[in-house]
Amino acid sequence: MYRYDEFDHTFVRARSQQFKRQVERRLDGSLSEEQFRPLRLMNGLYLQLHAYMLRVAIPYGTFSGKQMRQLAMIADKYDRGYGHFTTRQNIQYNWPDLVDVPAILEDLADVEMHAIQTSGNCIRNTTSDPWAGAAIDEIEDPRPIAELIRQWSSLHPEFTYLPRKFKIAITGASNDRAAIRAHDIGLQIVQNDAGENGLQVYVGGGLGRTPIIGNVLREFISRHELLPYLEAIMRVYNRYGRRDNKYKARIKILVQETGLEKFRDEVEAEYAQLEPLDIAVPQEELNRIADYFSAPDYDDVSSSDEGYDKAVILHSDFAGWVRSNLSEHKISGYTIVNISLKPLKGAPGDISADQMRVVADLAQEYSFDEIRATHEQNLVLANVKKSDVYALYQKLVVAELATGNIGLISDIICCPGMDYCALATARSIPVGQAISERFSDPERQRVIGEMKIKISGCINACGHHHIGHIGILGLEKAGVETYQVKLGGDATSTAEVGKVTGKGFSFDELIDAIERMIDLYLRERDTGERFLDTYRRIGMEPFKGVLYGTD
Amino acid sequence: MSTLKHKGKGPQALTANGLRTGPVVYLSADYTWNTAFENAMLTEDPLVIARMSEAGDRDEEENLIVGPYFIDVDAETHLPARYRERFRAQGPSYDPGKPTYAELLMKDGAQVIGQQREGN
Ligand code: SF4
Repeated sequence: MYRYDEFDHTFVRARSQQFKRQVERRLDGSLSEEQFRPLRLMNGLYLQLHAYMLRVAIPYGTFSGKQMRQLAMIADKYDRGYGHFTTRQNIQYNWPDLVDVPAILEDLADVEMHAIQTSGNCIRNTTSDPWAGAAIDEIEDPRPIAELIRQWSSLHPEFTYLPRKFKIAITGASNDRAAIRAHDIGLQIVQNDAGENGLQVYVGGGLGRTPIIGNVLREFISRHELLPYLEAIMRVYNRYGRRDNKYKARIKILVQETGLEKFRDEVEAEYAQLEPLDIAVPQEELNRIADYFSAPDYDDVSSSDEGYDKAVILHSDFAGWVRSNLSEHKISGYTIVNISLKPLKGAPGDISADQMRVVADLAQEYSFDEIRATHEQNLVLANVKKSDVYALYQKLVVAELATGNIGLISDIICCPGMDYCALATARSIPVGQAISERFSDPERQRVIGEMKIKISGCINACGHHHIGHIGILGLEKAGVETYQVKLGGDATSTAEVGKVTGKGFSFDELIDAIERMIDLYLRERDTGERFLDTYRRIGMEPFKGVLYGTD
Repeated sequence: MSTLKHKGKGPQALTANGLRTGPVVYLSADYTWNTAFENAMLTEDPLVIARMSEAGDRDEEENLIVGPYFIDVDAETHLPARYRERFRAQGPSYDPGKPTYAELLMKDGAQVIGQQREGN
């Protein structure tokens, strides 16, 4: 894992000291709320529906057991005993007191963490494949490049006041598990004809009120040239991005209004000017960073394990969990363990302080002391020996972390919605809970197969509803919650924005409506088809039929 | 200075968040800020509303509260008219907190911010 250098340490400490004084000045009135607001947002502190909310950065979603333990300590000491993992691989606390935040930032700094760039119109946390370094379909671990981007973009003076927030995601695998085409910039590690690894650059993706799937801006750029190329994109955006209208300020609108070709020309022209500045990263620095992410010291173990095989046969609950929650590892005898944060009655992404400590222990004992947060609001232990899996599973069971539903209908992405978020137009958590409840039978979930339901509590789409197989958007209509349904969205390499089915549903109607669509899919599907495949084959009309009784 | 505007219908209450710890608060009849909606002052009287508005501005300037605004209250149920405001008044409908919002309110009772000022 990446370790802070001295610069990072000094900087994070200085920033938390600075914020401490800013809070003091706010409390004694030397700073007005108007003056203080941008300062607190630069440190991840929002004022939400009920209380302050602090969002802590987890660069590319990778962190250690020690850091998780500190997050648990903070949850207990300053908050209400839990945290919430977000769709951008960060964690947030829903109830901190303003007066405690400086102390929280100090405690975070003790474990090389902070809340910088989790808010505001800057380049946010670069997100990445949660299976990085372990995935079987990976060309290369994307995290060294994500770390490079972190170092380049952190407090970059040119990019601190962008027209709007800016999100970058990177994957090194052929299957996109980082939703890169839903980001302002998406990066995919690819190999060129000469066999060299470099990056394919997507631009102009994004969700929100104008969902757009990103397009290829550059087929291939070497890693040495990546930062200057990104800098060129940022400069073009910074120069032409609209500052007059918040809703048109994202780069996706600029690319759309300019046209991809012309935008590309602008970037190339800027890039040509930049080259003499020689800000390309030298190989030694790339190597230094890459060293931090070198493969862990895998044991030489055989691909099958007798104890594991036996446990699968003897314990059907374990077998079910294995089927949904383990993913193939590139090293034989190892596996990727996905820990679901979607229990039946919970809220997606929530985890108690006690559970955090259990995950920290498990990471230390079984997975080289490393944890990943996923944009689907789950956790991953990426390097677990098969022979350890059953023991690990039993500990998850005790901690109520053994929900076996990864990728299934109850593995829902869901934003906090009206229960916590000041911008919400409707609740989203209870919708997710009601769907999970309706489809709670594990066998039924398995029969339905891969299903991505994503729920947002307003048009800002933090719950990714545009790219869910079934997307749900909560709105307020004449003083009541109504839910618009989208079908056919896709966050992977075959990315697509879903289409609205028609008029919305009340909370009570919605769950039945979803069940009718699932039943239709089960009747209509061909062998091996997922919900999304069936939808793509038969189209929207039959689904409208069961939703609105028009068939 | 003031962002405070009253253009609602029916009975009004004045709400904000406490600055130091962030809770949702309502202006009560003694012109302190109270975390329980049941203690909120409800009125349709334009003169009282004007006084409430002044109190909101003043207490924001005195760094007690953040972002005061008026909300509509249902004349019959005496609950906030909009459901967003009902959530603000009642706390989250799903709450995994230890303690929860409701438990804290039970344990500590309503919290008061500011000093009593009679009728302003
Ligand atoms: S989608 Fe809307 S309601 Fe949900 S977290 Fe984002 S801003 Fe809040």
